[in-house]
Amino acid sequence: MTKRVMGWLFVGPALLHLFVFALLPMAYALYLSLFKIHLVRDERHFVGAFNYTYTLRDSSFWNAMWNSARYALLSVPLGMAVGLGVALLVNQKIRGITIFRTLYYIPSIASGIALSMLWIYVFLPQTGMVNTFLGWLGITTKTDFLNNVNFAMGALVVMSALNGVGPKMILFLAGLINIPNELYEAAQLDGATRTRTFWRITLPMLAPTTFFVMVTSTIAAMQVFTPVYLMTKGGPEDSTDVVGYHIYREAWVQFNTGLSAAQSFLLLAAIVVISAGQFRLQRNQLKGYAAA
Amino acid sequence: MPRFQPLLLAFCLFFLAGCHREASDRVVIRIANWGGAKEGNKFDQTVAKIYDDFQRENPDIDVREESVPDEYVAKMSLAFIAGVEPDIMMLDASSSALFINSGMVTDLTPLIEKDKDFRLDDFFPNVVDIDRRGKALYAIPNDFTPMVVYYNKKLFDQAHVPYPTGDWDFEKFRETAKKLTTPGDPPSQYGYAFANATSQWVMWLWNNGAYHVAPDGSHVSGYLDSPKCVEAVSFLADLVNKDKVSPSISQAAAMGVDPFANGQAAMTVSGHWSLLGYDNAPKGADGKPKISWADLGVVGLPHNIPQSQTVMYESGFAIGAHSKHKEAAWRFIKYMTSHRAQIQYQEGGIAVCGRKDVAAERAKASKLEAEFLPLIPSSRPPPGANIEGYEFVETQAQSAMDSILQNGRNPHEAMTKAARAIDREFEKK
Repeated sequence: MTKRVMGWLFVGPALLHLFVFALLPMAYALYLSLFKIHLVRDERHFVGAFNYTYTLRDSSFWNAMWNSARYALLSVPLGMAVGLGVALLVNQKIRGITIFRTLYYIPSIASGIALSMLWIYVFLPQTGMVNTFLGWLGITTKTDFLNNVNFAMGALVVMSALNGVGPKMILFLAGLINIPNELYEAAQLDGATRTRTFWRITLPMLAPTTFFVMVTSTIAAMQVFTPVYLMTKGGPEDSTDVVGYHIYREAWVQFNTGLSAAQSFLLLAAIVVISAGQFRLQRNQLKGYAAA
Repeated sequence: MPRFQPLLLAFCLFFLAGCHREASDRVVIRIANWGGAKEGNKFDQTVAKIYDDFQRENPDIDVREESVPDEYVAKMSLAFIAGVEPDIMMLDASSSALFINSGMVTDLTPLIEKDKDFRLDDFFPNVVDIDRRGKALYAIPNDFTPMVVYYNKKLFDQAHVPYPTGDWDFEKFRETAKKLTTPGDPPSQYGYAFANATSQWVMWLWNNGAYHVAPDGSHVSGYLDSPKCVEAVSFLADLVNKDKVSPSISQAAAMGVDPFANGQAAMTVSGHWSLLGYDNAPKGADGKPKISWADLGVVGLPHNIPQSQTVMYESGFAIGAHSKHKEAAWRFIKYMTSHRAQIQYQEGGIAVCGRKDVAAERAKASKLEAEFLPLIPSSRPPPGANIEGYEFVETQAQSAMDSILQNGRNPHEAMTKAARAIDREFEKK
């Protein structure tokens, strides 16, 4: 068996999976987006690009886009900061550090549904953990965070930042371990403080990792669904109606299948544009890293 | 190992025999409803007994209940699209239009005509008509309820306030609620417990001389945001925010219990189903339930129009269009809607029976039950019985009400915003 055949045999299953579960459904969704469909009655009429033009004029879709953007803008930097902070903490050469690494990673392997349910209790108006803590500090607000238009998005962001710490921590930790020790030794000889070392060595050397985490976290944030579905149902006043949830409702509650397919592609386009923008912004920094 | 071979063979044969019996002798019928997890309470036990009795009398039928407590309409629709919807689906009048208009359920007329023992005249005609389209009938009523005002006689007596009569308007209601609210912030007792679900307050709009949907069901702008509707919504919001005669949504949620069932509110608006909860009300320090059926009175909603109006929520049995066991499903429906099954089923107080004879017998036995019957003729079906996608109206209207109550939005602006969102959704159809 030639190397070429062996190679195809190895990538074959993954390619098949990609084709059956990603590319084929995407192609079918693209086809559906050109029709006005009543899924229950099995009626479909070709409408060309109407679903796209309609969606682009639909203020509720733009509200959902804005909510997703807000969610990403808040949750990605916060999540990355928490992930990096925890990675720095668990990058210590002390006994039993793997226990801490495991503990911080555990939420990432728990079910998103279970975690969301848990966070509902954290944000309860009377008996929730947040209000209880505030009560101990003498602030008795009894705020219903998930039903208050000023707090609902913030509550989702906090939940996301703390829940998603595991994978980000692992990636940052790998990046930290790969930073050559000589750089820190040289900095120490030059009398650099810990803060200066962090800003001048750690952070620049983590640039590729930071970039990777930022791009993947942004894509995930733009597609967020589970916590919104369970915790706020897009409310109050559509303030947490993110695109992922908006598309779900369009497809499976309102049964506007063609429209929801078009919205999915518009979301894809938005993610591609955002990711391309991130690549462009980071290009110079990464070039500098490669040169170093 | 050889010693175990006969045992293994017997084991396999036992299972194969079981499979064979299952496959050939018994027809499995699936029944879907929107109930939650079984709690093993009296009502659950009664339903289980009725199913057992049916299966004993119909040994060729195996009944499998499927409870779908969340997103019932969406899940049933998806099952229908896949051709695997349950044999019997409970239809809720609030959403039955989609099921009927889309051919998800079977016309029962041929089965009724073929069955000499079944009499449609046994049921309330206006309830039967909810699921009728021309000559075709798509569901047999199980039960129904008009939305009513419940009041706690004990709390009225303590405050020396006369019991409400059907002849009252919004202002009279407000005054009554004020008298029943104790001083304090928050008060230990409220005059009224407002529920924010649209299905529980939409009748207030009607009783202010408005209707929230256009007569042809095509749009809501000019209706939901009409001056009369906004006036009614403002009145309800004022009860909570200005008069403080009802707990806010957050306060009610924080209580963790239904304030009316907990004896902390003197009035509430709900359906007959609430009697199940009132029969299991929380117990006080003396070990006695905080309310019981004997403490309750029922009266029609306050009205600024000559005659009080209310909505009638109904549930009925329908057969899935793809069901391969329509005959068996019909036998089950016939049994479930029979006098002997319904007299047991309705005993817990879940609703008013769709059968006239059972409803009359229960009214004779209980004064509280009797108070529901005069409200039936002036009750009208929910718009969802005729308008597909009416759930969206309910969702948006509730969201608007929440924004007024919790975030201080202007009622006119909130209802206009909701009306626009609903019309945009209707345009897509």
